[in-house]
Amino acid sequence: MNPDGLIQNILICGIGGQGVVLSGKIISLAAFESGLDIKTSEVHGMSQRGGSVSTHIRFGEKIYSPVISENNADIILSFDIYETARYIRSFANEKTIIISSNRGKIPSWTSKIKNDKIENGNKNGNSFLDANGVAGFLKANFNFLNLIDDKKIAEHLGNIKVSNIVLIGLLSGFTEIKKEIWLKVVEKNVPEKTAELNIKAFLTGRNYYENKIF
Amino acid sequence: MAENSYNTNTINITIPHSSDANALLTGNEAIALGAYKAGVYVAVGYPGTPSSEILPFLAKFKSAIVNWSINEKTALEIAVGASIGFKRSMFTTKHVGLNVASDPLMTLALTGVRGGLVVVTADDPGMHSSQNEQDNRMYAKFAKIPMLEPSDSEECLNFTEIAFDISEKFDTPVILRTTTRISHSRSIVSLPDIPGTAESIKSAERHINKPYIKDIEKFVMAPVYAKKRHKSAIKRLEYLTDFSNNSGINKIEYNSRDLGIITSGISYQYAKEIAPSASFLKLSFSYPVPNILVKEFVKNIKNVVIIEELEPFIQNEISSFGINLKGKEYFPRDGELNLDLVKRGLTEAGFLTTPQNIHENIHESISEALPPRLPALCSGCPHTSVFYALKKLKVPVMGDIGCYTLGALPPLNAMDSCISMGLAFGAAQGLSLSKSSVKKTVGIMGDSTFFHSGITSLIDAKYNNACFTAIILDNATTAMTGGQDHPGTGKNLSLNQSVSSKIDIKKIIEGIGIDEIYIIDPYDYNETYKILKKAVQSENLNVVITNRPCVLYPKKLNCGIKFKVIEGCLGCDLCMQIGCPSILPSSCFNLSCDKRLPTIDDSCIGCSICKDICIFNFISEI
Repeated sequence: MNPDGLIQNILICGIGGQGVVLSGKIISLAAFESGLDIKTSEVHGMSQRGGSVSTHIRFGEKIYSPVISENNADIILSFDIYETARYIRSFANEKTIIISSNRGKIPSWTSKIKNDKIENGNKNGNSFLDANGVAGFLKANFNFLNLIDDKKIAEHLGNIKVSNIVLIGLLSGFTEIKKEIWLKVVEKNVPEKTAELNIKAFLTGRNYYENKIF
Repeated sequence: MAENSYNTNTINITIPHSSDANALLTGNEAIALGAYKAGVYVAVGYPGTPSSEILPFLAKFKSAIVNWSINEKTALEIAVGASIGFKRSMFTTKHVGLNVASDPLMTLALTGVRGGLVVVTADDPGMHSSQNEQDNRMYAKFAKIPMLEPSDSEECLNFTEIAFDISEKFDTPVILRTTTRISHSRSIVSLPDIPGTAESIKSAERHINKPYIKDIEKFVMAPVYAKKRHKSAIKRLEYLTDFSNNSGINKIEYNSRDLGIITSGISYQYAKEIAPSASFLKLSFSYPVPNILVKEFVKNIKNVVIIEELEPFIQNEISSFGINLKGKEYFPRDGELNLDLVKRGLTEAGFLTTPQNIHENIHESISEALPPRLPALCSGCPHTSVFYALKKLKVPVMGDIGCYTLGALPPLNAMDSCISMGLAFGAAQGLSLSKSSVKKTVGIMGDSTFFHSGITSLIDAKYNNACFTAIILDNATTAMTGGQDHPGTGKNLSLNQSVSSKIDIKKIIEGIGIDEIYIIDPYDYNETYKILKKAVQSENLNVVITNRPCVLYPKKLNCGIKFKVIEGCLGCDLCMQIGCPSILPSSCFNLSCDKRLPTIDDSCIGCSICKDICIFNFISEI
């Protein structure tokens, strides 16, 4: 929560097609069902798939702007570790709680153009960081970092697609929204036949929070 | 058509809400709901971010005729006709689409309306998904018509409903202007009268037919009548200014007498959060600007500043009253506003003392080391091979607006212009006339763009003996805006089933009299390259049409096979040059030349384009 304890700012980021929009819907409906004022903002970018995407969620007693201000996210929820690193620059501060997948998809072909061809490496000819490198950077700079192997957990549970819900389960612990409300909203907003699995995924993530296994 | 089939079940499915009274809606959804409440009978538009979700949401209520039109001009013309027939009509567009519809709009401003007519323009400051960031508030002044600017979803609903009343009361089209942060933001909307109440009945009553009456003095804008109507449009501005001052839609919120802020739309929300103790003149009915309210506000408040996104629209209007206030001196004229820019501007103006940003930028160091992620064509996108072939052919390519605009970005780099919808074929003709290229010119656009405004320029090309190759990337949908139907799909919103036979692009071109037409399968790269090469070597005006559907719309496609890089690959990077998001650098190196080897991940949908690209045959089916 912000110092004034009134507004909670959550930024969700990832790659187009990863479920940023559905996750935003679940989190915002949980706040909505709690009777809080809420605003969200999503940007539909240039590409249908594969581009960097984000959703802003703000809730509290009274919300004006639907967009979070610079370095003012209380929580950053990220489904791709490269996007975590991309969004912390604009939205994180030293107290921001970061909940991120420890995996990411490296966007190779956007690297460097030389003689009209793509080469890997940045403009100084240095290599870009890989997922481990990004993880190292995040660990060195953030005290409230939760890097989760969400894909592996989801595979264990039976379907890699519920990885987002595992992270939402963990996130839920950092909000003052009641657990019952979260469970109700998750159940109502996933396909009916996957409801049980999604609830299990949510509780797995929630359990990480409750037992402080990060 | 069922006129009042709006029931509780539908609303439970389409509108998430915790109680009977509230829902969490986007601005676009709220506009649709407002139009429903107002009893709109015909609602039309052409898809364009950030306006695209209004019509599909309205179509769910099954209370109105809701259709995608071929382009914005035709859409507005349909709305005009419905209004002449005494029905309420609505036209939705993104900002640049209103340019296309501006011809009917400017004269509609003279004729006025019968049934209420609302023009919804969704602007895109910051150009999240647009080619410019024009400020469509200018159109209200240009056309002399009133404008409403909602600042959240609740106002989207209410203002849409009011807009129809204003339209009928003042005999004028009304502009409802949103921006990306209004259209694509969710906030709480109260639903007092929905469903099945007096409001719905009002909605149904609107649909009662009135017999057509001819009135040439009102609707035939030949000079003799247009001269009179122009005088009435000017007179109407006076009545609208009275309304702007007295209707209560524009409000003064008195607070501090030291600082006053005049603002509208999303800027109101930013300003309210940054300077909660200021007094506010919130312009919800923002054209004509309420001169008396402005004078009263300025008289009562010591310092007044104007906060508005993009152009100094309010500022110039107020300066025309002889009142000089500052605004653009502190706030940028380009891009989106946000909390930080408002804070900075007010600080610079001396109204706020803000401590320096205490968050050290420890994070800058990572910028350099982080691989950028540009927007990309999807895995298996049929446009990929066409652009790769064009790159190889090194021809000048006049491009257009759609997903395929991404063909201009690395690594494809195969499109040289993107200016307006349907520009490609006209520009290809003009570029060839300029004789600046020894190679034949190519014009390229998608199927929806071809219907929107490519047909006319292709007819012009035939008429004027132009010589270029026109490529139509027919993926059977309007992909970039989310997969909307168009004449080539034969479906539309109202019925969600076939409404006509599919209009055949090839037959249109044959009808124009162009004989050299090639239909190609873009998943066969070698054939695609061969035919494009032939087409650009031919000295005729010719057309190439691709025939693979979009991989996402109307349903996600998967060829049922996947590809992999096999042992022996030396890391030549050729496969990476097509920009497929499924082809990534692996952690393995070719040690002899320090080259990273590629790998194909499980997002591969099996289009096989990369298999054709790898001339060394190191890509094979799993």
